[in-house]
Amino acid sequence: MAAPRRYAQSHEWIRLEDDGTATIGISAYAVEALTDLVFMQLPEVGRHVKAGESFGEIESVKAVSDIYAPVSGAVMAVNEDLPKRLETLGQDPYEAGWIARIRPDNPADLAGLLDQTGYDALVAKQSH
Amino acid sequence: MNGIAVWRDGAADGPTNMAADECLAAEAVRRGGMVIRLYRWECTTVSLGAFQSIATARACDAIAGLPLVRRPSGGGAIVHGSDFTYAAAIPKRHVWGAKPESLYDAVHGAMIESLRSCGVETRLAEPDPTAEGAFFCFDRRAGGDLTADHPAATAASRNVKLMGSAQRRLADAVLQHGSLLLAPNPDVGPAARHLALADLTSAVGSGPDGWPVWVDEWLERVAAALGQQIEEQPVSFLGTAPLGLAGGRERFAASRWTNRR
Repeated sequence: MAAPRRYAQSHEWIRLEDDGTATIGISAYAVEALTDLVFMQLPEVGRHVKAGESFGEIESVKAVSDIYAPVSGAVMAVNEDLPKRLETLGQDPYEAGWIARIRPDNPADLAGLLDQTGYDALVAKQSH
Repeated sequence: MNGIAVWRDGAADGPTNMAADECLAAEAVRRGGMVIRLYRWECTTVSLGAFQSIATARACDAIAGLPLVRRPSGGGAIVHGSDFTYAAAIPKRHVWGAKPESLYDAVHGAMIESLRSCGVETRLAEPDPTAEGAFFCFDRRAGGDLTADHPAATAASRNVKLMGSAQRRLADAVLQHGSLLLAPNPDVGPAARHLALADLTSAVGSGPDGWPVWVDEWLERVAAALGQQIEEQPVSFLGTAPLGLAGGRERFAASRWTNRR
């Protein structure tokens, strides 16, 4: 059974995998808020990122938004097909719409992020 | 904070203006409220959207030889120099922070009302997906852009885009900058020369301070949307020597940034 997703305040999700890597994406709420997506700059494989650091960008018709690393770690892989099929982010943001896999410096850092209940509360607050 | 701080800057080069806009976002966070900067360009300059192709820009004869700067925001290329350029920023915790499109709507809605009081009818555009990939911003039609019809409207002069804005959504702030075309720019070729406010009416010009006559009303209407007042600042924003300006200017001037795509 996959580990539960954790969330950053900036709406990225992260899930610890069995092999010790963590998969990162952006939440369905964030995708909806971005509206019409036109371009995505994926993180750079091999780069070490710090928690809260921008490591990718996404452009919608009205805005460019940063994608922030939820925890510190090294980028191991990125979803190369995603920029060619940005609609995947809206259709399946938590599986096919994954953005990057990182190896966290400290997997315990995920515990400091929002759980599903906490994230739902954040979304509810920001939706009003 | 009850007021919206407004700075009216003189002319600067592209990298300085982009760096100043980033500093403006930091200022919004520091003040805990909306801030606005009005500014000019020291010479005709083309700003590219954050992800536009530099090769396409270099191959465009209509803007050959002009300085290029890449914006932190998205959208299409804009020829600055005979336009009205503004930047507005709000902290993420602002009432509009969770729905940043509210900032876009307020700024453009205020402009519609302000231009109407000057006798110019404009409206919010319907999105036109067929024009989405156009190189120039003013050849695109995103929902919420400001458009008008030429008085002697022909097929080519209906739905003239007068104003567009774009945002950079940062971790702690939303930066929005935009441009309204005041007059055709003489420094560019026909492909980059778009119909402008001066083509639609001769009734709207500049005030004694050099800013368009509708600027004060526009600012007041933006402030009214928040139930706030405008607080004109006694010095220019660049005159305040904002922290991070020099480093930002260096970054926006670097070929690594300009040629990133």
